[in-house]
Amino acid sequence: MRTFFEYLRPKSLVEAISMKKKHGSLAYFWAGGTDLTLHWKQERCHPKYCIDLCYLNGLDEIKVLDDKISIGAKTSLWKIERSGHKHILLRTLSNIAKLMCTPQTRSIATIAGNICTASPAADLSPALMSMGAKIIVQGVNGQKVLPIEKFFKGVNETSLSKDEMVVEISIPISKSIVKAASYYRIDRTVVDIALVNSSTCISINKEGTILDSRIALGAVAPVVLQAQEASDILIGKSLNNVDENLINEVSQISREISKPITDIRAGENYRREMVAVMTKRSLLNTITQLKESII
Amino acid sequence: MITLDVNGQKYNLNTKPHDTLSDVLRDKLGLIGVRVSCSEGECGSCTVLIDGIPSTSCLMLANQLENKKITTIEGLGSPDNLHPIQQAFIEEQGFQCAFCTPGIILTAKQFLEENPNPTAEEVSFAMSGNICRCGAYPFIVKAVLNAAEKMRH
Repeated sequence: MRTFFEYLRPKSLVEAISMKKKHGSLAYFWAGGTDLTLHWKQERCHPKYCIDLCYLNGLDEIKVLDDKISIGAKTSLWKIERSGHKHILLRTLSNIAKLMCTPQTRSIATIAGNICTASPAADLSPALMSMGAKIIVQGVNGQKVLPIEKFFKGVNETSLSKDEMVVEISIPISKSIVKAASYYRIDRTVVDIALVNSSTCISINKEGTILDSRIALGAVAPVVLQAQEASDILIGKSLNNVDENLINEVSQISREISKPITDIRAGENYRREMVAVMTKRSLLNTITQLKESII
Repeated sequence: MITLDVNGQKYNLNTKPHDTLSDVLRDKLGLIGVRVSCSEGECGSCTVLIDGIPSTSCLMLANQLENKKITTIEGLGSPDNLHPIQQAFIEEQGFQCAFCTPGIILTAKQFLEENPNPTAEEVSFAMSGNICRCGAYPFIVKAVLNAAEKMRH
């Protein structure tokens, strides 16, 4: 049976977190609610308290600063979709947002909600992981910063404790480097989730040397996987020397790192093959973006 | 007690914590142009405008909408004075059973405000969150293009 919950409306972040501390796992932070309202209707979750975050000021801005792109936890996918002109990495996130759910759910769904759901097939998570994003978490005793790969613990499980809340997603950038990312997924139609996805992000200096490279793979393990052994091969190389052979090698290693399963949506072998294909396309696109931005 | 601003009028309403916006609009205010089909945020028939932005009212708690301007299809023109999008849907027969039409027209309204001169492909993408089980899609696209033309003049 559906549980009927009590509605709480905190006026500040501090009040919201103290409410959560008081009621623990019986209470849910409610923002967009695109998952939560649905799961409540489907009796997949049984909240006793709804802590409504809609009336908290702020937490919904996208700011491009010198050293980071800061995205407030309550930023809607709709807003991310319309932020592509602000930065090359936001252009990638904007393109991803367009693939997610429908326009009228993007307008209420939030970035932190998407991340806190911790779906291994999430669209934004691999991209944010490849970009080296940090999750800023507010607790009773202040804030802490977690690399996104430390945030995901399992299917629908995060490292958040019962009295913590995500307040910001931060993507490191720098004036002295060019950083670009790309994301590819296998899907069937609109309003679909990925069968397999792969995101790559490469940072280069002014001379075109690769300083950092990350690959993140989705829907091939209980959490989004980092394919570090694969992406490390590119570090130190000159962008102009990254040829098809090297890209194939990186893509094949990514394929080996993936741990897909067979389920109703796709078979294990198909998924594994597609990891290589998605990673290759993603790398090629990232490299094209980098070359265009240094010309 | 909450206060909702719907179609330019303020209403004081007794709601339960779990009442969704679509429940309240339909059951308390009688605005049955808000159609509920899947009730899961997939089909788009419950679309209303929240501060001008299309949103699935079946997934929002009514409690979350105080201080926002809510527009339903009832707030968009009248039988004697149709909105250009409504007129365009009649001219192009952009529906068959019309169950999905309120949501489609509201989605189209925001889209045409953001993109007054769209291509057919852009219309299709913008309307991808509204399912029409009659399959009137080609007519819907024509109607939105017709409405764009009307609204530009």
